[in-house]
Amino acid sequence: MGRIVLEHVTKSFGNTQVIPPLDLTIEDGEFAVFVGPSGCGKSTLLRLIAGLEDTTSGKVVIDDQDMTEISPSKRGLAMVFQSYALYPHMTVRKNIAFPMRMAGMSEEEQNKRIETAAASLNLTDYLDRKPGQLSGGQRQRVAIGRAIVRDPSAFLFDEPLSNLDAALRVGMRLEITEMHERMQTTMIYVTHDQVEAMTMANKIVVLQAGVIEQVGSPLELYHKPRNKFVAGFIGSPKMNLIEGAEAKKHNAETIGIRPEHVVVSNTDGLWKGTVGVAEHLGSDTFVHVHGIEGCDPMTVRAAGDATFKHGEDIYLTPDETQIHKFDAAGLRIE
Amino acid sequence: MSNRTLPRLLQSPAVFLLLIWMLVPLSMTLYFSFIRYVLNSLRKPEWTTPALSNWRGFGNYEFVLKSKDFLFAIQNSLLIVCSILFLTVILGVLIAVLINKSFPGQGIVRVLLISPFFVMPAVNAVLWINMILDPVLGLQGIAVGGINDMVDGLRAAPGIGWFFSLWPELTPISFRATQTSAYAVIIMVTWQWTPFAVLIFMTSLQSEDQQQKEAAILDGASTWSQFRFLTLPHLGRPIAIVVMIQAIFHLSLYAEIEIVSRGNGNKNLPYLIGEFANNNIGAASATGIFAVILANIVAIFLLRMVGKTLME
Ligand SMILES: Nc1ncnc2c1ncn2[C@@H]1O[C@H](COP(=O)(O)OP(=O)(O)O)[C@@H](O)[C@H]1O
Ligand SMILES: [Mg+2]
Repeated sequence: MGRIVLEHVTKSFGNTQVIPPLDLTIEDGEFAVFVGPSGCGKSTLLRLIAGLEDTTSGKVVIDDQDMTEISPSKRGLAMVFQSYALYPHMTVRKNIAFPMRMAGMSEEEQNKRIETAAASLNLTDYLDRKPGQLSGGQRQRVAIGRAIVRDPSAFLFDEPLSNLDAALRVGMRLEITEMHERMQTTMIYVTHDQVEAMTMANKIVVLQAGVIEQVGSPLELYHKPRNKFVAGFIGSPKMNLIEGAEAKKHNAETIGIRPEHVVVSNTDGLWKGTVGVAEHLGSDTFVHVHGIEGCDPMTVRAAGDATFKHGEDIYLTPDETQIHKFDAAGLRIE
Repeated sequence: MSNRTLPRLLQSPAVFLLLIWMLVPLSMTLYFSFIRYVLNSLRKPEWTTPALSNWRGFGNYEFVLKSKDFLFAIQNSLLIVCSILFLTVILGVLIAVLINKSFPGQGIVRVLLISPFFVMPAVNAVLWINMILDPVLGLQGIAVGGINDMVDGLRAAPGIGWFFSLWPELTPISFRATQTSAYAVIIMVTWQWTPFAVLIFMTSLQSEDQQQKEAAILDGASTWSQFRFLTLPHLGRPIAIVVMIQAIFHLSLYAEIEIVSRGNGNKNLPYLIGEFANNNIGAASATGIFAVILANIVAIFLLRMVGKTLME
């Protein structure tokens, strides 16, 4: 079990309120991702759930039990930190054993769990090494192993992959997602990287300045962003937001169109612009187009083998059904 | 000319100077320890100038070994050094952990805690032995006297008087003449050097990773377990450094011993050397060689220990 409910939770450091009143429910077995720009309060929210920070007001409820005043170790949650937070003087085996040792578990049971965890995380050969002798990815695995053996009701991850290089990050992302599929335990995952959020989550919570902008599945957020902020944050490359006359035609203050929903042509189209930089990814080409009223530059997706010369004319036609409309307050208009 | 010659040539004055710096005093000590050499002698005036014709072989060493204070001085050297190390490390760790938490007035408390380190050793000894430890005029005498007076008064009280009449009269301890003067030295040097340990441990504590602590909290570690399994291993290296530096310093304690009891009931090797050096330079040099040997034994012992923690 691992159903986590935040009721009217707030958090202030001194006089600055980092989290205004916030309500959120994370169902048992869900993979929830908190995503938002740096400094928006994701870590603070996670630490409130873990109990590492005290709430200023409001309640943290885990499995229908009010945990607001309960000490972190009694909440049955395990956390994996960005800096791994391994114990440097202990071997990998001792690191993984630490929570069980603190719980007074029998040596036999400890060893059994260590072996299982090490096998599933490919750490068997490294059990007698110290963390200093491991690579970043292996260290993160040890940290995950230390969390797994506790058999927690939920896992909390605070940007666990940010210190890894890009290739390793993709690999670990898959491993963690697979781990979730296998264990079906609640996981809360904090990241500033919307790609991680989109690929891993069942439920994405988009935060800005401590406020939840939207909660939903990755595709919900992609297709129906509730406001301009979510629209710009989810999706890569970012959605193009167009203001002015073009938006007025749609009876909106701002309209948005994703790069992949624009048809590119050399001869004719709705909008005319000039080619700026073209980024060739092989599968796709992302073209930055200048000279379009209300949105400069506009990013559009073209076929992978398309060729564009810097400064040549280009014509764009948006897919009308994929245009997002926003009002003056930045909220979505259906 | 190979390309190494020039650097070697340029280094050589420094190396040469260092060699002289070390070798000259050591060889002179060795030389004096094998001859008869005294500062004053009416009977044998020829012994007052160092010369090979006064060769005594291992005579000086034999003389020192047989002197009644030698073994006692070695024992006492070790007692004083080990006790100070033990106390400063324990107190240093406790105080450092205590003041590492943030509290109002932290800055002032830290400065006050460090200040004993800036008192001169001789002043420190005079202060402690006269103003604090003195059995009559010092704080100790006053406190013991006060308690005795109070107990005396309570003996006359109705009802509970019988209970206090069971209490013995307290006598203040004299730290000047007997073996207790070693304890006085240990107390005052511990007071002076604990700040050094605190300073080193505190800087180390500030570099402790807070996320490790948080991970440990989530792992269910109590405050004691966090201290035992995280903080203490983290302090291993600074403890080794504090032990090593202090061992070197305290093997050569002198001022405190001189001021507390003029060596009565409490001598260490340097003090013994000082006593011999009043007249018998030969014996003093032989004791000096023994001191070098003792320091080396302690150093090897310490290096082993420190090396082990540093290699981790
Ligand atoms: N212990 C603290 N004291 C004061 N301010 C803090 C503290 N921790 C975080 N903050 C502030 O709270 C805000 C949110 O921080 P954080 O939750 O770490 O953001 P994120 O993890 O989303 O990058 C930041 O503005 C940060 O400066
Ligand atoms: Mg953060």
